[in-house]
Amino acid sequence: MSTIASNKVIDNTIDTPGRRTTLVTGNQTYGSITHMVSRISEEAQPLAWWVTFILAVPTLGMFGALIVYLFLTGVGVWGNMSPVFWAWPIVNFVFWVGIGHAGTLISAILFLFRQNWRTGINRAAEAMTIFAVVCAGTFPGIHVGRAWLAFWLTPYPSLNLWMWPQFRSPLLWDVFAVGTYASVSLVFWYMGMIPDLATFRDRSTSKFRRLVYGILSLGWSGSSRHWMRYEKAYSLLAALATPLVLSVHTVVSFDFAVSQLPGWHTTIFPPYFVAGAIFSGFGMVVTLLVPVRAIYNLKDVITLRHLDNMNKIILATGSLVGLAYATEFFMAWYSKNPYEVFTFINRAFGPYWWAYWIMVSCNVISPQLFWFKFFRTNTIAMWIVSIFVNIGMWFERFVITVTSLSRDFLPASWGYFSPTWVDIGMLVGSFGLFFTLFSLFCRYLPIVAMAEVKGVMSQHAHAEHRHDHSHGASH
Amino acid sequence: MAANTLNDNVTMPASWRAKAPLLLAIGLCGVLVSLGLFHFGSSPENEATGFRMFFHSYLANYIYCLSFCLGALFFVLVQHVVRAGWSATVRRVAELLAYTIPFWAVLFAPILVAVFTNHGHLYEWSKGAGEIPAIVEMKLDYLNPGWFLFRAVVYFAIWCVAARLYFRMSREQDETGSTEITLKLQRWAGPFIIMFALALNFAAFDWVMSTDAEWYSTIFGVYIFAAGMLSFFAVMILTCYMMQRNGRMEKYVNTEHYHDLAKFQFGFIVFWSYIAFSQFLLYWYANIPEETLWYKHRLDLSTGWRPLAYLLIALHFAVPFLGTLPRAVRRNKNLLAGWACFILVVHWLDMTFLVMPNVGPASFMMLLGHFVCWIGMVSIFLAFFMYRVGETPMVATRDPWLPDSLAYQQMPM
Amino acid sequence: MSDHKPEKKAKPPRAFGWVAEYADDNKLLEAARKVRDSGYTRTDAFTPFPVHGIDEALGIKATVLPWFTLCAGATGTCIALIMQWWMNAFDYPYIISGKPFASWPAFIPVAFELTILFAAYTTVIAMLGLNGLPKFSNPMFTNPKFDRATDDRFFLWVDSRDKYFNTEKVKSLLESTGPISVDEVREDDSPSEIPKMIFSAGLALILLALVPGAIVLRMRAARSDQPRWQVFFDMDFQPKKKPQQTTTLFADKRVQRPPVPGTVARGELELADPYYLGYDPDKTAALEATEATRMVAFNAQDGAAAAAAAPSANQAAAPAPAGAAGEPNYAWLTEAPIEATEELFALGKKKFETNCAVCHGYAGYGDGLVSQRATNLAQGYWLQPTSMHEDRIQKQSVGRIYYTVTNGKGKMAGYASSLTPRERWAVVLYVRALQRSQNASIEDVPEPKRAELSSK
Repeated sequence: MSTIASNKVIDNTIDTPGRRTTLVTGNQTYGSITHMVSRISEEAQPLAWWVTFILAVPTLGMFGALIVYLFLTGVGVWGNMSPVFWAWPIVNFVFWVGIGHAGTLISAILFLFRQNWRTGINRAAEAMTIFAVVCAGTFPGIHVGRAWLAFWLTPYPSLNLWMWPQFRSPLLWDVFAVGTYASVSLVFWYMGMIPDLATFRDRSTSKFRRLVYGILSLGWSGSSRHWMRYEKAYSLLAALATPLVLSVHTVVSFDFAVSQLPGWHTTIFPPYFVAGAIFSGFGMVVTLLVPVRAIYNLKDVITLRHLDNMNKIILATGSLVGLAYATEFFMAWYSKNPYEVFTFINRAFGPYWWAYWIMVSCNVISPQLFWFKFFRTNTIAMWIVSIFVNIGMWFERFVITVTSLSRDFLPASWGYFSPTWVDIGMLVGSFGLFFTLFSLFCRYLPIVAMAEVKGVMSQHAHAEHRHDHSHGASH
Repeated sequence: MAANTLNDNVTMPASWRAKAPLLLAIGLCGVLVSLGLFHFGSSPENEATGFRMFFHSYLANYIYCLSFCLGALFFVLVQHVVRAGWSATVRRVAELLAYTIPFWAVLFAPILVAVFTNHGHLYEWSKGAGEIPAIVEMKLDYLNPGWFLFRAVVYFAIWCVAARLYFRMSREQDETGSTEITLKLQRWAGPFIIMFALALNFAAFDWVMSTDAEWYSTIFGVYIFAAGMLSFFAVMILTCYMMQRNGRMEKYVNTEHYHDLAKFQFGFIVFWSYIAFSQFLLYWYANIPEETLWYKHRLDLSTGWRPLAYLLIALHFAVPFLGTLPRAVRRNKNLLAGWACFILVVHWLDMTFLVMPNVGPASFMMLLGHFVCWIGMVSIFLAFFMYRVGETPMVATRDPWLPDSLAYQQMPM
Repeated sequence: MSDHKPEKKAKPPRAFGWVAEYADDNKLLEAARKVRDSGYTRTDAFTPFPVHGIDEALGIKATVLPWFTLCAGATGTCIALIMQWWMNAFDYPYIISGKPFASWPAFIPVAFELTILFAAYTTVIAMLGLNGLPKFSNPMFTNPKFDRATDDRFFLWVDSRDKYFNTEKVKSLLESTGPISVDEVREDDSPSEIPKMIFSAGLALILLALVPGAIVLRMRAARSDQPRWQVFFDMDFQPKKKPQQTTTLFADKRVQRPPVPGTVARGELELADPYYLGYDPDKTAALEATEATRMVAFNAQDGAAAAAAAPSANQAAAPAPAGAAGEPNYAWLTEAPIEATEELFALGKKKFETNCAVCHGYAGYGDGLVSQRATNLAQGYWLQPTSMHEDRIQKQSVGRIYYTVTNGKGKMAGYASSLTPRERWAVVLYVRALQRSQNASIEDVPEPKRAELSSK
């Protein structure tokens, strides 16, 4: 059967206690799921894809050109200044790394919590993770000034330097954390794709496709012995990736929090950064999947239920972030430390008050709309809120980095940071990189984890069968 | 299947209930004996007078018990907010645990006594302006007895209302079997979680952190939360185990549920370590005197508390981490009960570590008194729990998720 | 599965047993149980997703995979901790931010990351290894129907090497389980040789990839007469001046510019106020310019020329007030910029006796306790602290004394950090009072008190 999703959207967000709603709507069969997902890479791409791709590639080109310009001229082309030595690039880095959290979170943590709804969205979210980490990794790579010597960060026996990296520095922890995260996420993503790549291989009509997907799928046959080890490996990876996700943003928060700067040095930073990262990651997943779902007509596998659940997570993590803001403010006041007090008043009412209030309204206030079911299930409304979340989380990093630095202990050295056109161009350019990679992903790889969705369908059928059975028995 | 031969009884053995008054008496005696021991062991040169030690010990043991009752409340709320099915068989235990919170509100009275007598036995700030360091004096706008009392009332009000609501409604469902109740509880869980989080966060600051009023740490509420959740899962495992040993709940709690509870317990072992390490690392690294002082009291050789810190690393993280890592352990309820007891002991060490070094250097009489007080407080907890349970069924037998929960199987590997 | 390798030189395609195709997983499970109960052990199922219960139905045993993960994780932890300790505490110890060389708390994040890295990669590699993947040739793939094993069909296979295998029996057993079809599995007889072109292309790629590295190695080993290749010329040769250099841009040839007269730099208010300095900076600057010019000239030219230039510079300058050798040539304040009150006197006395008297003595004769002790120890090189009552000191202006209190002199340290300017002025005035008291004549005593004194 090859019925592709009807345009009718089925509301599967209504709860019946004791009974799980279906996560795949529209009477899909295993075969129709295969077809629905595989056809995306087999058929010509829709107009929306071309528009995205054609916009994204020149933006990526601009990013590359700006990096070359930066290398040839020096970091002076950025707005970084005294005392805001750490500004736009680190903000972009933390922003992208944060976004790169949802993918592995959906794959790993939701897997451990047996949240079956993850299967509809995890593949795209993992891809988003990889691409966001690529974008994030670019910034520390280029901001070291002499980027061609960035390999000095690795602990290798150097005949020139006769010395080793400084493991007591949080920046080096960051190299290890982001490096581990990127490589483990990549392998997690790839491993998850092997069965679906085998599906692509077996459906391919051209020899070339068969060869490429055949190599990529490593000769996967679907043997039950293989599946058994595969599932075990998947759950082990999930168990490893869960603390890894937490550790990455924790280490990013250490970059700030081990210092003595008011506004950076506070113990809630690790969990608060992690909550913020999950928040921004889910924001980005919604931003991406609402259009993807519409463009490729995937409404039956990425259902309203999936979106509803993600919006609830956005609400929860947004509120957590709000709680962390409140705790920080309270503790600054409670501590009676004049520097802390000043920093927080300065954040809210100092020269960067606008950034602060953008952050609060986007991160704390706008997700509160998700208390209402209308906003959780209306795709346009949630898409707008998710954009606000992305903006807010970028500003959060801006507020943390720039306000604390621009007014430190020495009033004589206070300054006001303004970005240069290169700064802004690089932020925009990194989106070009991200969307180029993401559109290529949509074009060539399975954007929904078909095998996992089928597994959930089977599980649901069994549960329904059991339910009917027990009901029949009781009556 | 084998389920047919299992006992369907879900009420607590009557013989346990009968012991509740005795336990309460033992508990009160224990607490009073500890006061005597502290008085006997007080050494004025360390300012560690009997009352000072007693109130600190009381607070530590009080938070010890309250933290897992709060953990139970959070568990109930979260199970509803995520529409969890697996936990339907064990949720009643958590509801009952949470519903002991009103009793704990009564036992908060001695802490209020310590606050309102203004001797600073427990909180230095309660002495009021003039006798305390200038920085603490500046904090009197927040840390003052009246405002402290008001906040405590608000915290307890939030918790008691939530605990009562979730318990009563669940009991009502036992009668009616209405799924509307589940829907209603699911709707309310979100707002209650937010209020719960705020109350717990600030209660941790008010009650525990302000025993050292000069010190502050924004993560402190999360720390107490992590410790409370961990000990809650241990209490839950142990309760189910004890009930089953006496032929109760046999039909309902199976290996899969133990496995899930053990996974949560394992997760919170890691989470606690993560939070504790984060707090330590940030203060150790920045090395700002006003922040490291708290750790100096605890890690300086002269105070005698350092071994406890190392014990916590070993027993609160390394040993239970490796011990409960194997799947076989998590699926063996006898082993698991042993680990739950272990966790409940190290949770006590943790609470001791948070509170007792504020009194002064460790001494034998102090530890002895503290231990006796702990025994007393745990007896009081058991008495409370048994009063609360009474003849209430320990399983919500008409919960709509119960069939799902009973049918669930982990991945077979 | 992995124990099953097609023989290389078999002439007719070998049969590997029978495979049955099913439309859904329940059918497959039933069939698998049936086949298992018939005693077959060399069986396998091929499914588009992991079918719940198939392991039990086929009798598949648990995997050893977790042990690989555990061992690799432990290895990662150990390697990370040893590496960090060895690199930062043993092989290359250096002090940074006051932390111990072996900073174990700071080593934990990297140890954690490497634990995960090792464990995760080992898990994936071990999973593929145990599964015998990658394995591109599989007898199953010869059957075109099998393409749906990754789509919506479920296959059950009985291996011909099973000890109870009997072609007919297996076929009829499988047919009795309600399959869509039952087929014989045949060896993959497509050519197994890899085309030569792939090898040559691979070799060429490898050789090409070596070229950049070879060039780098060659350049590292060889010497060259050519100047260094400047990647960033303007980074290596920046158009800027460093401190203490000269320039032709300004008349005084100094790179460092003195502040514009009449201006004060942010945060340097104190450097412009005589109250804080003890001298008038503007007037002093006028005196000092000549000295500065001489210094610049000295730096700019060789020593002889500087010596020649020096006298002329001195002659051009306004005659400075005569001072002892090494004495700063400043426009000292001659009047204290603060009103002398009784309260100020008390403050000065208090501060003098706290800070100064230990060396200078309570009366200022340079016979404080420290001095007495040092003298008693017969330390020949002990230099007695200056007596306030020396002629030289008595003649000094208040500004000069204030300057000494602030900045110290000789062995005496400056007291700017322990005394506020007001306290320093109070001390100066107290010193003045001491001087007056110790060198007084009867005329200094007020008229009514004289009688009292002489009576004693």
